[in-house]
Amino acid sequence: MSNQKYLCMYRGAPSQNKPSPAQMQEMFAAFNQWKEKFKANIVDMGSKLKPSGRVVAPSGVTDGPYAEAKEIVGGFMIIAADDYDGAVTVVKAMPMLQSPGACVEIREMASS
Amino acid sequence: MRRDPGDGVLLTDASGLVEHFFRHEYGRLVAILTRKVGIQHVDLVEDAVQTALMTALTSWVAKGLPDDPRSWLYRVAHNQLIGTLRNTAGRLRILEAAGNALRVAPNDPVSPRFDGEVRDDLLRMLFVCCNEAIPRDSRLVLALKMLCGFSTTEIALRLFLSEANVLKRLGRAREHLREIPSDFNSLPLDALQSRLASVQVVLYLLFNEGYLSAQSDTTIRREMCDEAIRLATLLTEHPVGTTPETFALLALMHFHGARLNARLDGIGGLLLLEEQDRSLCYQDQVRLGAECLKKAATGESFTRFHAEAGIAAEHVFAPSFAETRWKEIADLYSMLDRIAPSPLNALNRAVAVSEWQGPEAGVAILNGIERPSWLLGYYLWDAVLGELHRRAGHNEEARRYIEQALASAPTDAERELLRRRLASINH
Repeated sequence: MSNQKYLCMYRGAPSQNKPSPAQMQEMFAAFNQWKEKFKANIVDMGSKLKPSGRVVAPSGVTDGPYAEAKEIVGGFMIIAADDYDGAVTVVKAMPMLQSPGACVEIREMASS
Repeated sequence: MRRDPGDGVLLTDASGLVEHFFRHEYGRLVAILTRKVGIQHVDLVEDAVQTALMTALTSWVAKGLPDDPRSWLYRVAHNQLIGTLRNTAGRLRILEAAGNALRVAPNDPVSPRFDGEVRDDLLRMLFVCCNEAIPRDSRLVLALKMLCGFSTTEIALRLFLSEANVLKRLGRAREHLREIPSDFNSLPLDALQSRLASVQVVLYLLFNEGYLSAQSDTTIRREMCDEAIRLATLLTEHPVGTTPETFALLALMHFHGARLNARLDGIGGLLLLEEQDRSLCYQDQVRLGAECLKKAATGESFTRFHAEAGIAAEHVFAPSFAETRWKEIADLYSMLDRIAPSPLNALNRAVAVSEWQGPEAGVAILNGIERPSWLLGYYLWDAVLGELHRRAGHNEEARRYIEQALASAPTDAERELLRRRLASINH
């Protein structure tokens, strides 16, 4: 098993067309297949993030991320891989990456 | 409705869910929750159900399927709906009007209800969609949305309409839904029996949209037929709909459904009846059709569905094309024409008669009919006339009519069939 952990942040356009029930079932099936194929790499399935939060700065607390932002982080996940190439292979196969405007930022997590 | 032909177990997809689970849950949940809060608020219900399905998607991906996905969805949709209603001050009245049914603590597990109750809720929604005050085209679209869980894009694809047209039809239907009196939900289902004929027509349309569709994707076509069969089956299970006529309707769906796979050859081309491999028929479905036909054969009235089921049965039970009882089929088309007159019945009867008494007899029937103007560009009429002339050895007429048919045939599959015919005419 790979030791390096990578944080994957999913970004999408804030407003997307609602998928139909049939499309949702397809997405679910596709996601399960992906999960099955890469189960050795998935450390933490993470979670979806709600669209708004708080931004804390020395100057104070504001609502954020800003609604006018073109992309917001919609969810995160932790995967294990030997290197960036390995992590990219796993992420490239993610079904959610297929939706238009989607992208995933991958950051290696420092082990110490 | 699609079953594994071997053991009768419902098929599941890669994720372990029954086929069409999301779509059918959408219909189920919308029907159940609408029953609770009233049809006037169906928009809020649809939003809540959509949100619940989205929540399921992310949650189930992360944590795996819950033990009882249906109850899970019901609970989430239900709580989502309560939340929306609570947040909207003016809508508190709805909560009160809905009584205790919705006043459950948000985390209190709501037990899934009995199948019989769910069935009644689905039927109630079907009768709502088939209100005769709603234009017929809108009724079909509304049923596809509410009961089958198709999106507007998916409906447009299935009915060969533009998405704007689907939205327009849905909009018209929704206007009528808003006018439904608030005590509608307390009416017993039996009180809606006057709409039964409309319900049957909508289910018949739904089936034909799949069965006769020019859509080349078989999966999509089968899906529509399966939806019609699913809803018609529900209808036969309740006193409000369990009439001989409904059984006749379901019988014809089962018989045609059994033949649907046999009707398409390996490359999606339409096969002629003569070329179909009868072993491909789903024997289970033929058996279901026969059971329905038996139940249809009671009572006083012989309806168009009886005639059509009878014709379909003749085809399905004929041991081979050569042994088909063409005289019976020709007679049934005559009976159908008396109940529901249409030149298309004569066209079909001409085909049956030509098998029974020879192509000249078939040509004579068609020559005896003045073709109405709306059928002038109808390719099947030309195709049949061309084929009958070809068989009778009238090569010149045969070529003329088949070429006319080719010019207006709507799909590649049909054009390919016609070209095969044209090539086989002796020079």
